[in-house]
Amino acid sequence: MNIETESFTFDDVKAEAKEYQRWVAETLDTLTRPAFERFMHFYLDHASVLDFGEERLSSGHIFGGTEPSQNEWIDRIEAGRVRFTGRKSGIAKLKSKVGQLSLEERPLFGEDVRKLGKLLDYSLEFLINFARNEVVENETERNRLDVTLPGRRPRTGHLHPITILRQKIEDIFVSMGYAIEDDREIETDYYNFDALNIPENHPARESQDTFYTTEGFALRSQTSTVQIRAMERRGVPIRIIAPGKVFRRDTPDMTHVPMFHQIEGLCVDKGITMAHLKGTVTEWLKRLFGDDTVTRFRPSYFPFTEPSAEFDFSCFKCHGTGTVGSWQKAGGGQDDPQTAAGTQQTERCRPCKGSGWIELGGSGMVHPNVLKGVGIDPQAYSGFAFGFGLERMAALMFNIDDIRHMFENDVRFLEQFR
Amino acid sequence: MNISYNWLKDLINIELSADETAAALTRVGLAVEGIHAFGDDKVFDIDLTSNRPDCLSHLGVARELRVITGNAFPAKPRSREEDAAEAVPFPSLLAPDVVKIEDPDLCYRFTARIIRGVKIGPSPEWLVKRLESVGERSINNVADITNYVMLELGQPMHAFDLDKLAEKRIVVRRAKPGEGITTLDEVERKLDESMLTICDAEKPVAVGGVMGGLESSITESTVNVLLEVAYFDRSSIRHTSRKLGLATEASYRFERGVDIENLSRASDRAAELIVELAGGRLDDFVDVYPNRLTAPVVVSNDISRAVRRLTGLDVPVNECLRILTGLGITSEKQDDSSLRFTSPTWRHDIAIEEDLVEEVARHAGYENIANELPPAFEAGEYQASEARKKLLRQKLADIGFDEAISYSFIDTKFDGQYEPVPGIVDEKLDDKFVTLRDSVIEAAVRMRPTLLPGLLDSIRFNLNHQRRDLKLFEIGKIFANSAGENSMPAEREVFGLAITGGELLQKHLEPVRALDFYDAKGAVEAALEAVGFPSAEFRVSEIDHLRLGQSAGVYIDGGLVGSVGRLNEAISASYKFRAPVFVAEIDLEAVLARNTAGVFYHPLPKYPSVVRDVSFIVGRDTTFDTVRDAVVDQGSDICRNIGFVDVFEGKGVADGKRSLTVRFEYRSDERTLVEDEVADAHGRILETLGNTLGIVPRG
Ligand SMILES: [Zn+2]
Repeated sequence: MNIETESFTFDDVKAEAKEYQRWVAETLDTLTRPAFERFMHFYLDHASVLDFGEERLSSGHIFGGTEPSQNEWIDRIEAGRVRFTGRKSGIAKLKSKVGQLSLEERPLFGEDVRKLGKLLDYSLEFLINFARNEVVENETERNRLDVTLPGRRPRTGHLHPITILRQKIEDIFVSMGYAIEDDREIETDYYNFDALNIPENHPARESQDTFYTTEGFALRSQTSTVQIRAMERRGVPIRIIAPGKVFRRDTPDMTHVPMFHQIEGLCVDKGITMAHLKGTVTEWLKRLFGDDTVTRFRPSYFPFTEPSAEFDFSCFKCHGTGTVGSWQKAGGGQDDPQTAAGTQQTERCRPCKGSGWIELGGSGMVHPNVLKGVGIDPQAYSGFAFGFGLERMAALMFNIDDIRHMFENDVRFLEQFR
Repeated sequence: MNISYNWLKDLINIELSADETAAALTRVGLAVEGIHAFGDDKVFDIDLTSNRPDCLSHLGVARELRVITGNAFPAKPRSREEDAAEAVPFPSLLAPDVVKIEDPDLCYRFTARIIRGVKIGPSPEWLVKRLESVGERSINNVADITNYVMLELGQPMHAFDLDKLAEKRIVVRRAKPGEGITTLDEVERKLDESMLTICDAEKPVAVGGVMGGLESSITESTVNVLLEVAYFDRSSIRHTSRKLGLATEASYRFERGVDIENLSRASDRAAELIVELAGGRLDDFVDVYPNRLTAPVVVSNDISRAVRRLTGLDVPVNECLRILTGLGITSEKQDDSSLRFTSPTWRHDIAIEEDLVEEVARHAGYENIANELPPAFEAGEYQASEARKKLLRQKLADIGFDEAISYSFIDTKFDGQYEPVPGIVDEKLDDKFVTLRDSVIEAAVRMRPTLLPGLLDSIRFNLNHQRRDLKLFEIGKIFANSAGENSMPAEREVFGLAITGGELLQKHLEPVRALDFYDAKGAVEAALEAVGFPSAEFRVSEIDHLRLGQSAGVYIDGGLVGSVGRLNEAISASYKFRAPVFVAEIDLEAVLARNTAGVFYHPLPKYPSVVRDVSFIVGRDTTFDTVRDAVVDQGSDICRNIGFVDVFEGKGVADGKRSLTVRFEYRSDERTLVEDEVADAHGRILETLGNTLGIVPRG
């Protein structure tokens, strides 16, 4: 379909087509240059339907200041539609003229008018479609979002690293058949010391290490107190884990705090040996740090166990090698070893201080005096106990350099843990 | 404890390298924490446990090596002097003229040796080096020798200038009231009757087993020496050392226990060396031994079986005996074929069969103990409340709270500022709060009766670090004294929170609005909902630490469990808080002890409901709850729900009044309500509200 006037036979049809052609040219002349370019794209995409005459369009064009998505342009096209296809339009007059013509002229003229009518319909429809399309695109553009901005939801809070670690360890032990126990934090000397076979003149009993209330009660200095109360209450056999706060008279510094958390484990039954102690400690450490974790037990001394052992585990960071690989940058640039110039170096592993081992806690076979104290026959029953500090473990796991941060509740500290 | 590898080799033949020796010692419980080179020597830094004072010497460590290597000690330790000095026997009848022990309960044995004609001077190079290798500084030949023998044999000793002792005699006795002494460190010290002193005929010349006196000490002009080698009661030494605040190498060893049967050997050894290095000749040797220790005896029916029972290790009897004998633990077969083990006098930690098991096990090697899991037992269990506490923690984290853990001891200055949760503090007591004798943190001797000071300290700490928008919570125990003789303090697990600043969105740096009372209340509601109580009640209350008009008591099933509200001006000002802070504290233990209501399903409504929103102009003392309760009391059977829509003050509402919009929902389970019915019921409700509360719908 061509808007070229030469395709019409009759002069008045041709004149009307020419009038329309002029109007189209004027209308397109009002478009801004970018709008006109978009129109050209739109036009070429739909060129099979219409032909406005490409040369006319692409040369000698004047650019106006109208955006086709705005009412001004749409009004103009609407006005064009009324002018060229309305009741008082040229085509309406031509249509009414058809009936007045002679029978010979009528089919030919009718064909000319029909052709022009169709052309006007298609063409105006096309211009309106273009305008609508512009409106939609403009709307889309105006509503374009930055999808990388943060979503809308309350800030996520954080559990304390001690809670996170305690819950993890509790989960492991519950799955291994242990009951979680806790009890009083202010204790009598009996539960804090005597029942644990710590004699009157033992260094651990000195008030330098233990907080006392004015009434003579002790703040428990280890959660072993819970072992005693649990054995009194539950009897044997027994398998418990006692996480809780303990108190020692240490002045706060990088590695000491006067209050910290301990986890104690206790298993008493017939036939329990140190092999079970080793197996149990190794098992939970594997579950926490991975299957390649190995443990080491060294002879030690605690009043409430005999024999006693300290236990270490292979460093979770360097896997027992004592060294970690680090990327040494050659000058500035990227940290990524793939792209930056530099050298791969090994340095001493921090958590284990290069030893490959992390010293974690104390353990041993429950001292017969402890068992006797709660009415358990040490000839018939034996048991193991172990304990370790959560702050120290968290400090190692999370690379915390100053243990005092644990109780400052600095949000910048807390929000680093998940 | 520093131990020299070369020195050890003087005492026992070691085929192991220094590194191997260190590893072997660590393996049996003498943890070598470090090895450093000193000339051609290697020095081990051994971390000893408190039960092994016998290893505070090269001889003690060599004993462990005797078992490790299987090598015997040479018949006599290699000595630099071939002719051993011979002790001059002293007629025991005359002994009291030289040494008198007045308090044998504190001094079990005392030996004194006189060496005459010594020349005090520098030590030979080998001795200086030896001492330096283990980190000791050389002083003079005699002082160095006493130090050297202590490090070699474990026995502390003290050399007096004999000529400075009044009447040249020693009296071992408790100090008399008013007595004092200037010790070697040139500090004047007051003594009391609980302290054991070594005295001459007139006055104390040494604090027994702790430190010698300055006046009677060896100087360059000393010619005659009295060498003291003694054994003191362990707890007496500990007591005196603590009381004087004076811990020395000697007191450290005496309070842990030395070898009472090693005294004359140590004295001989030192005397030999003094004669060799400082000249002089041996004179009298006095040994007063009034209080003999009985060596502990352990009877074991089957030591091998005992080892197996406790450790799972299979160690044959012969190997058990080899280890124990090597450690100096002798055994004797009894008639019933059991063994009677006798602890050597240098060990103070062998009392029961389990102690023998440990000796065997550590030398047999803990690494040889298998890794086994105990046979299955029963299902594990969390603490009854743990599941709900976990939900509470998670809930609060989800709405933006960070979990705090604060010290359980707080400053006494907070006393009386806060109103603790109900039912923990006994107001009848004069001494309501638990107090520590002292603390390591300035003034923090009060066991907290509330979590709030800790949380507010944390709020301030964060404000000081440029964090203004804060939501913190804590779960922990609070403490208070309870009535009754000897009754233990009450402990209660509570939940507390503190908020200030604005509401933050995740990853948005600026808050979206300011936090207010309803944020704190909402958090309390969320926490209580998480532990199973979705319908706590909040009643207008006066709470000490909260601002009037913005405080509420929190009730569950009519029981008061805590409070929530805006921190009062006085406390805010003391913290220099500029933005309002809202706090809450709930007796979590009491809440968790309550039964949660079960879910009771209501059939879904069959007929539609009609809703009417009404805005009332109310005074500030007319709460939403009052309006709701009045409607409930009115008792319309078709008014099924009264809900909160909106409240505002300001434009269009008279001063001092609020516009409160409430939604009434009318519904019947039997039929669709007709307009007249609703209008009738609604009208009656409005009438009642007008009559009882004097409130009318907004015009
Ligand atoms: Zn490592």
